[in-house]
Amino acid sequence: MANSVGPGPAQWIDDLSPVGPADWSDDRAAHLLERAAFGATSEEVERLARMTPQAAVTSLVAYQTIDNRHLKPFEHSGVHDRSLEPFPASRPAATDLAKATGEALGVRVKPDGNRRLQAVTNKFFYWLRASRLETNRVAYWWAERMLTSPRPLEEKMALFWHGHFATSEEKVRDYRKMLRQLELFQKHATGNFRDLLIGAARDPAMLAFLDAGVNVKGAPNENFAREIMELFTMGVGHYSEADIREAARAFTGWNFADLAFVVNRAQHDDGDKTVLGRRGRFDGVGVIDIILAQPVTAEFVASKLYRFFVREALSPALRSRLGAVLRDNRYAIAPLLRTIFLSRDFYSPASYATRIKSPVELAVSTYKKLGLTEIPGVPDFNEVTSSLGQQLFRPPTVAGWAQGRSWITPGLLIERGNFARSVLFPDINFIPPDRYPPDETIRIVSERIAQGLDVTSATKPGTSKTGSGEMTAMSNMLADRDEDFNTRYASYRGWQMAIEKVKPIPRRTAPIDLTAMVSANRLRTTAEVVDYFGRRFLRLPLEPDLRARLVGFLDAELGTSQVSVAATYMEDSLRMLLHLIMSTPEYQLG
Amino acid sequence: MDHWECSRRQLLKAGLGTGLAGALGMPAFFERTATALAAEALASDRILVVLELSGGNDGLNTLVPYGDDAYYRHRPTIGLQAPRLRKIDDLYGFSPGMAGFERLYKEGRLAVLHGCGYDNPSFSHFSSMAFWHTAAPNHGEEYGWVGRLADRLRPGGAANFVVNIDTTQSLAVRSRDHTPVVFDDPERFSRKGFFQELPLFQHVAAASGDANPSRKYVLDVARSARDASALVREAWARYSSPIDYGIAPVDLPKVAALIAAGLPTRLYYASYRHNAFDTHVHQGDLHARLLTYVSDAVSGFLRDVERLGRADQVVMMIFSEFGRRVPENTSLGTDHGTANLMFVVGKPVKGGHYGQPPSLTQLDAGDNLVYTTDFRRVYATVVEGWLGYRRTEELLRGRFEPFALFG
Repeated sequence: MANSVGPGPAQWIDDLSPVGPADWSDDRAAHLLERAAFGATSEEVERLARMTPQAAVTSLVAYQTIDNRHLKPFEHSGVHDRSLEPFPASRPAATDLAKATGEALGVRVKPDGNRRLQAVTNKFFYWLRASRLETNRVAYWWAERMLTSPRPLEEKMALFWHGHFATSEEKVRDYRKMLRQLELFQKHATGNFRDLLIGAARDPAMLAFLDAGVNVKGAPNENFAREIMELFTMGVGHYSEADIREAARAFTGWNFADLAFVVNRAQHDDGDKTVLGRRGRFDGVGVIDIILAQPVTAEFVASKLYRFFVREALSPALRSRLGAVLRDNRYAIAPLLRTIFLSRDFYSPASYATRIKSPVELAVSTYKKLGLTEIPGVPDFNEVTSSLGQQLFRPPTVAGWAQGRSWITPGLLIERGNFARSVLFPDINFIPPDRYPPDETIRIVSERIAQGLDVTSATKPGTSKTGSGEMTAMSNMLADRDEDFNTRYASYRGWQMAIEKVKPIPRRTAPIDLTAMVSANRLRTTAEVVDYFGRRFLRLPLEPDLRARLVGFLDAELGTSQVSVAATYMEDSLRMLLHLIMSTPEYQLG
Repeated sequence: MDHWECSRRQLLKAGLGTGLAGALGMPAFFERTATALAAEALASDRILVVLELSGGNDGLNTLVPYGDDAYYRHRPTIGLQAPRLRKIDDLYGFSPGMAGFERLYKEGRLAVLHGCGYDNPSFSHFSSMAFWHTAAPNHGEEYGWVGRLADRLRPGGAANFVVNIDTTQSLAVRSRDHTPVVFDDPERFSRKGFFQELPLFQHVAAASGDANPSRKYVLDVARSARDASALVREAWARYSSPIDYGIAPVDLPKVAALIAAGLPTRLYYASYRHNAFDTHVHQGDLHARLLTYVSDAVSGFLRDVERLGRADQVVMMIFSEFGRRVPENTSLGTDHGTANLMFVVGKPVKGGHYGQPPSLTQLDAGDNLVYTTDFRRVYATVVEGWLGYRRTEELLRGRFEPFALFG
């Protein structure tokens, strides 16, 4: 093994030919693990560095032979029941249904008296809360797989597809559909893009998210057809508005019933369509095959993968070569990934340590590099990643997360440092968000109800920062005009019903022992400690001035530069040191 | 405070004595300089707040042309009936929950700009939003128009000149010289750490000549974070307001808090996030509710800046990436459209209708409104008319005639 340090030469940029054993090093193995996995401990880096680059890449990409049956399946809390199906599109739809039929969501309307629809409304909010909380548990389960799976690329690709076929629980409102969709992404993670695309087009979460239910013969809804062309396959500029309208007809009647894909024959438009210059009686799969036959599709998908794994900027020439690799392999994803991970370009200065880690990657790789084997319960994983701009199962729009530089703002950079601190020095005032409602209104209503206030008084609006002196805003005045039910009370009661059923997330803090890490690596001086932490946690060398300050900091904290003197009391200071390193701008790069 | 008062105060601030230069018979050279400085100082007090309504707001159901039968022919089901509307004249009425907008209009503080759009409109949220963000329809452009404006108003960049309240930075504020202050929750906008760690937080490495562009970027952001976080946190801690902003204040109390604290920020960017206005299905209740929130938040904000004594300094511009299809769809909603309304609000604004409302009978081939006002004319209006920056032709890459909305 050569002792190549850092990135390869600048001539490697845009060169897709493979690196050889002489080009391999610890640094480059670490770079590969940063991208194709979720980072790694020094020990794992050394293991891959001892292989040839071909073998190292194969160990990540050809993961099917690796046994992962020890990973536990998701454990459902049991929050769903049949009376919830089909779940009404909105609260007004639920109460209208109850008014019209005397029953909704398995709850009958009270024959007489005040707030006759309150229990229906409570049940509606119950499911919104329960599905959301259960989705957060699915996210925990998935993060745990990212951290511990022996096939990390499978989970990383599932994360990529989740951002590509972005679907949010906020609209789908059913954690079971979100879980099924994730399983689809895991199953086809590095498989064939055609299988995955057809699977995604028939996926109940996707169909719910893109309003498939209203795409019917004679009145096609263009939402799904537009997204499939614009976001999933070709990108803007390669199709016309007419193509979208015609493609929408081909998808008419595609729908879901609870967790199953169904085609409603009566609503399917079986007539002739013209899509991208081809004419025929296409259905959805027919349209997908036309799209896949477009040269631009392979380029679009390949370059999006490249931007996710390598870097933001790529030349048109590289884009077309990557597209050719995907096309030549008939849309099989694994060969393309293998080409990318082995390429000189991947190890060139333009690619190496230039990628801003996404929040989920930051959190998981932080835990990985600390040597943890489970996702801590404190801080809350979803709260952390959401405050950093990426909550699993809740992408902000149908375009997924913007990636790259959009992950970092002044506010978010500070949040990232605070995340590191919350792992190293867990907050003893931590309040579990799966028990304690994040919405201030719910907490206020809860307190007032307990004080014996009537529902109307208990649900009067107003938060702590604004509106203390008046109530003039229309939205506040109109909120509870309906006497049949009170939505704020239902929101409170729904939360209460949900937390009775949803299993709590275990709230263990991270078992961190930096003292043991220092002694296991036989580090003798504060300078060696700073250098070791730098290597283990950063992909870029510590800037000399900062390095000197950090050594000075640790010397001052410990009262010595000798580890042996400070061994019995250095843990807190080592954690501060690591917090400082993880707060640097450089820690955000992988 | 009238303009004369304002300029006098600014002259005092600028250290030019009493501001009575002309009266004291000052030499012409000084007088000219004083006037130029006064104009600059006047303009340098002015704040523009841009509010984005993401998802494509249905302008036709926002300010409803109830006097036009064609509206009801296109929207037999989701059309808002005249008696429910908040009428502002014989033709138009606001959606029922928009009491705030109705009042602002009647006070003469709300300008409606009709038919705003651009040639070859995109029906993609992302493309069209990018066109509005960059003021460069159907062209690639690296920087946002607010960012480029900042580069021109304050070349070389300055701390805290641009504030973008959001979890991610908008393309609109992306700038060559400035690193916008982007934060979401002011209470979280501060580094947590031990006393001993604090000096090290102040250290941000120099990024000049860095070969790794991502490293340079994160270092610039680190510097902006260091310079802004204490100010923002302090401003928010000190802020509280009796004003009711409604259920969804759209981050505007945060803007008010920073204005109240006297941050040097000239350009604020906030948005109603997450494509909220993308109302394809059953839009009635949802859309009315969103508009109520916006109307409450905007009118609350303007009353709040008035309370703070800063109403003469603040103007807000409101836009969305496109309007919606004129005929309703079969799902009781509307699909992506083209031309739309924009609003400019604030005490300094001369309220009323501007621009030609697009015809509801002569639609384009896709049943969309034909735009009558290039949206960059409205940008030019606030840039030139409000912020006093005259080289809009360079900024916006073309000549766009401003509307006479101010003074």
